Amino acid sequence: MGLLAAGLGAGIIAIGAGIGIGMIGKSATESIARQPEASGDIRGAMILTAAFIEGVALIGAIVCILLALQIGG
Amino acid sequence: MQTALRGLFLLLLIVSLQAPGVIAADEPGESGSPIDVMGKILDHDYIEIAGKKVYLPRIFYSAGQFYFYSNTASALDSGEFEMSEAGIVRSDGTPVAIDFSITSHLMYVWFGIIFTLLISWWAARRYRKGVGSETEPKGVWQNLFEVFFIFIRDDIAKEYIPGEKYKKYVTYLFSVFMAIAFMNLFGLFPWGVSPTADLTVTATLAAITFFITQFSGTKDHWEHVFLFPGVHPLVRIILTPVEIIGLFTKPFALAIRLFANMLSGKIMIVCILGLIFIFTDLFGAAFGVTSGVVWVALTALLYILKAFIALLQAYIFTLLSAVFIGMAAEEHHHEEHESSVATATDVNV
Repeated sequence: MGLLAAGLGAGIIAIGAGIGIGMIGKSATESIARQPEASGDIRGAMILTAAFIEGVALIGAIVCILLALQIGG
Repeated sequence: MQTALRGLFLLLLIVSLQAPGVIAADEPGESGSPIDVMGKILDHDYIEIAGKKVYLPRIFYSAGQFYFYSNTASALDSGEFEMSEAGIVRSDGTPVAIDFSITSHLMYVWFGIIFTLLISWWAARRYRKGVGSETEPKGVWQNLFEVFFIFIRDDIAKEYIPGEKYKKYVTYLFSVFMAIAFMNLFGLFPWGVSPTADLTVTATLAAITFFITQFSGTKDHWEHVFLFPGVHPLVRIILTPVEIIGLFTKPFALAIRLFANMLSGKIMIVCILGLIFIFTDLFGAAFGVTSGVVWVALTALLYILKAFIALLQAYIFTLLSAVFIGMAAEEHHHEEHESSVATATDVNV
């Protein structure tokens, strides 16, 4: 049961993080296309936001690992 | 510059073709699986240099007394300690209060710190002599140093830490960037270990950022954590706990992010190389060895990706540290803002 939960959780995390980072990438490339001279600033903001999403996704992933390894009951 | 880049590329190529062999040459895991995945990830009491294990000293603090041994074997020979399921314990049952033993991850953390120190000393000596400060920087290495340093000073510190305050934090941000970059890159070398794939190391780094953030907090920062100016008092009941939890989740996420990224890269490489042995087990040696061509090529590509991720994660750690410090050190100007709101409502009335 823990393994099933971990697998499902990992899948849902991947969906969520994928949508989030995909939306960042979409709007960042659109902004760069509209304003190529601001590409440096946009890239910085993009990496920063992606890092935040990644952080949430990784915390979820850690929970899944704990579930799969049966740590903490 | 071009020759240096070519040399760097050649080094990467040699390393990425060498390291798979090193991983593959290890003895199989205890659980019967053909390759020892966890053994590649966990901390050890030895470091490997060119395939030879160098055992590191064990230091224990137990019942008010320190015990020093040059390695695990001599600790066991002395009769004071014995091996158990959970690790090393005292023979007479007294609990080991603190295990100060030097481990492979700790050694590589020290290597990272020493490299950062040496580079900074070397560069500082050159700048003091006038090379770079009065004339143009000379040589590939000084230019490379300057690229990194100016990048961190201008694009990270100046950008996210307000006002003139950024000068205080450039030293921390630069040293943490270099140390993490070195620690991440050590994992790429044959027999090397990247200590950032250990949660204790990243948690320590995040704790340093946490304390620097809290100590550089201004009055405005604390006001925003505990009382929210211009917010209904009842909303504070919800917002204050959230903000206080937020103080701790920020460095927590910082630690987990670096740890999980480095660990996943490590596991991925070991697993992909492990396919050779799994296929050998399943379909015979001929198929395993032939398919190895694909896996080694894939691993070499992954190595290049890992080198990129190593620098990217060091950048992200430094960037987020700067953002958190900047958020704490920021000074708001509520008075103007509130008074302008007040006048606006006055006009409406």
